[in-house]
Amino acid sequence: MIYKVFLTIWMAVVIIAAFLYAEAAVGFPGETSRILFFHVPQAWIATLSFLISMIASAIYLAKRRVKADYVARSAAELGFLFCVLATVTGSIFARATWGSFWNWDPRQTSIVMLLMIYGAYFALRSAVPDPERKRVFAGVYSILAFATVPFLVFVVPRITASLHPEDTMNPARPGLDPKTLMVFLGSLLAYTGLFVWMLRLRIRILTVEGLKEPKFMNRKPDAGQ
Amino acid sequence: MFAVTTLIAVSFSIGSFRIEEAERPFLYSVLLWIILTFSALSGLARSFIKEEEAGTIDVLKLSARPQAVFLGKLLFNLTLLGALELVIVPLFILLMAYQINFPGLFVAMVISGGLGLGAGTTIIAAMIARASARGALFSALSFPLLLPIMIISIKGCERAAVGISTAGWPEVRIAVAYFVIMITMSLLLFPLVWEE
Amino acid sequence: MFTLNVSGIGKHYRETLLFRDISFQLNRGDVLAIAGWNGSGKSTLLRVIAGLVRPSAGRVEMFAGSESIPKESRRRFIGMVAPAISLYDELTGLENMEFFCRVRGFACSRNDCLDIVDRMGLTEHAKKMCGDYSSGMKQRLKLAQALLHRPSLLLLDEPGCNLDSKGIKVVEEIISRQRELGVTVIASNEKREVGYADRIINLSE
Repeated sequence: MIYKVFLTIWMAVVIIAAFLYAEAAVGFPGETSRILFFHVPQAWIATLSFLISMIASAIYLAKRRVKADYVARSAAELGFLFCVLATVTGSIFARATWGSFWNWDPRQTSIVMLLMIYGAYFALRSAVPDPERKRVFAGVYSILAFATVPFLVFVVPRITASLHPEDTMNPARPGLDPKTLMVFLGSLLAYTGLFVWMLRLRIRILTVEGLKEPKFMNRKPDAGQ
Repeated sequence: MFAVTTLIAVSFSIGSFRIEEAERPFLYSVLLWIILTFSALSGLARSFIKEEEAGTIDVLKLSARPQAVFLGKLLFNLTLLGALELVIVPLFILLMAYQINFPGLFVAMVISGGLGLGAGTTIIAAMIARASARGALFSALSFPLLLPIMIISIKGCERAAVGISTAGWPEVRIAVAYFVIMITMSLLLFPLVWEE
Repeated sequence: MFTLNVSGIGKHYRETLLFRDISFQLNRGDVLAIAGWNGSGKSTLLRVIAGLVRPSAGRVEMFAGSESIPKESRRRFIGMVAPAISLYDELTGLENMEFFCRVRGFACSRNDCLDIVDRMGLTEHAKKMCGDYSSGMKQRLKLAQALLHRPSLLLLDEPGCNLDSKGIKVVEEIISRQRELGVTVIASNEKREVGYADRIINLSE
């Protein structure tokens, strides 16, 4: 309870500070740099979520504890949400700064990739009826998807650097300006807190729903099976 | 079949004249790899699906080691891809009058890209063999995984066509690295998918 | 001395419980029958033993003498026949046999394959494509495939399915031979087939 209240207040403070306290960064048209207070944490959470989901999946594959799959799924759902948010805020920024919503620059490409991976993940989950198989496959897929990420990090800059004149979108971390830094970090903290809260909630929901299923067996299959 | 049809459609609509010289190496590379990738996506799941449908999958599970099954299917897919490339690539070059200045790099890129395509998709094929809406699911799942190899192959072929060659052929090396990593991960994960 | 040890096996598929707390131990020479109505889970239990399906609870252990056989190595010891299992239609009977020999990592010559084909009474059809076989012939070939590597554990799911009286004699002979080699488990709801066994587990109870 306290956590929720605290989080709400903190988030509100951050939002207000983002617009009133921090100064708009130099070099960006108008007030556009303010969106970075929101966009960057969202993208960060989206990626972090993916990592969490993958690790939870790996744990599931190793130990077959259903709770691990709940974590994996919740992290994937939230990650997807934040990914969509990041894409939208990112393209708003793109529009305001460069005049068009979409440019296929490295960061935009990677966020779309992440979106696609999330989409594929959920498609896979819903296409496999057997719950055990579903969890195993989802786990396998997220590990495979994770393996391709390093390639994108190396590959995408190569191709876009020589193709498109305008690139290296991501402005250097917001400011050496202490006020901006403060608000930014505050926002990061707020978003992380939000994420953690939502994640735990979602895991709890899934666990409760899982309790609904009839419990037949007292003994789980032993490790050797 | 898909590949040839697409090729003809592309060649017919774009012709050799409508795209400017400067843009050609890149755009043609893109088109080529789109054709190759989507042809792969339409055909590579078949070997697993067939086993599933014919009922032979159980006896295979009972008699062979999972790694052996995976490598066998992989080999089959790679051969299929190889044949596809053998037919499509020369045809493409001919029909589109694709000028390639560094054939060595081009061929290496086509080969390593093809290897990558096969490696990324085989384990996915095993997963979707029993699912609903298999074709669409296979494409949806494979596409994000294939994106890196597609991008790097497009780049590599474009470079080969234009005539710039960086020492050590970085694109080919990345493609091979992709191939190796995908195969390793698939070999490790395949038993989980294969056994129930 | 081969031993099969099954303890506390249960399986549920989503909301339906198929069976639970199945335990038994079988040694060389034992024949067990799993009986029950259609849909009671006989085939599933057999598949759990074979390692094709993960049980929801319990475990399956196999021993060669006193040494436990790990899951990955069990395929050498198991031979299985079931209606759901098919062989390759595009290959001939003999080619199917050779394929399964090689894939199992089993050194076997053409003669070994021919021998087993003979035993099954399929000599004249050995060179024909499986797709052209009658259902009885296919069943015999499936039996042949299961026996190729002289398995210690023979799992038969409705072995007499599609067979004429001659074929059934062959099955009986196989079962009696298997008593010397190892363990047999039969899943069936046919009285005669259940009658081959020393012990019976009825899943409908």
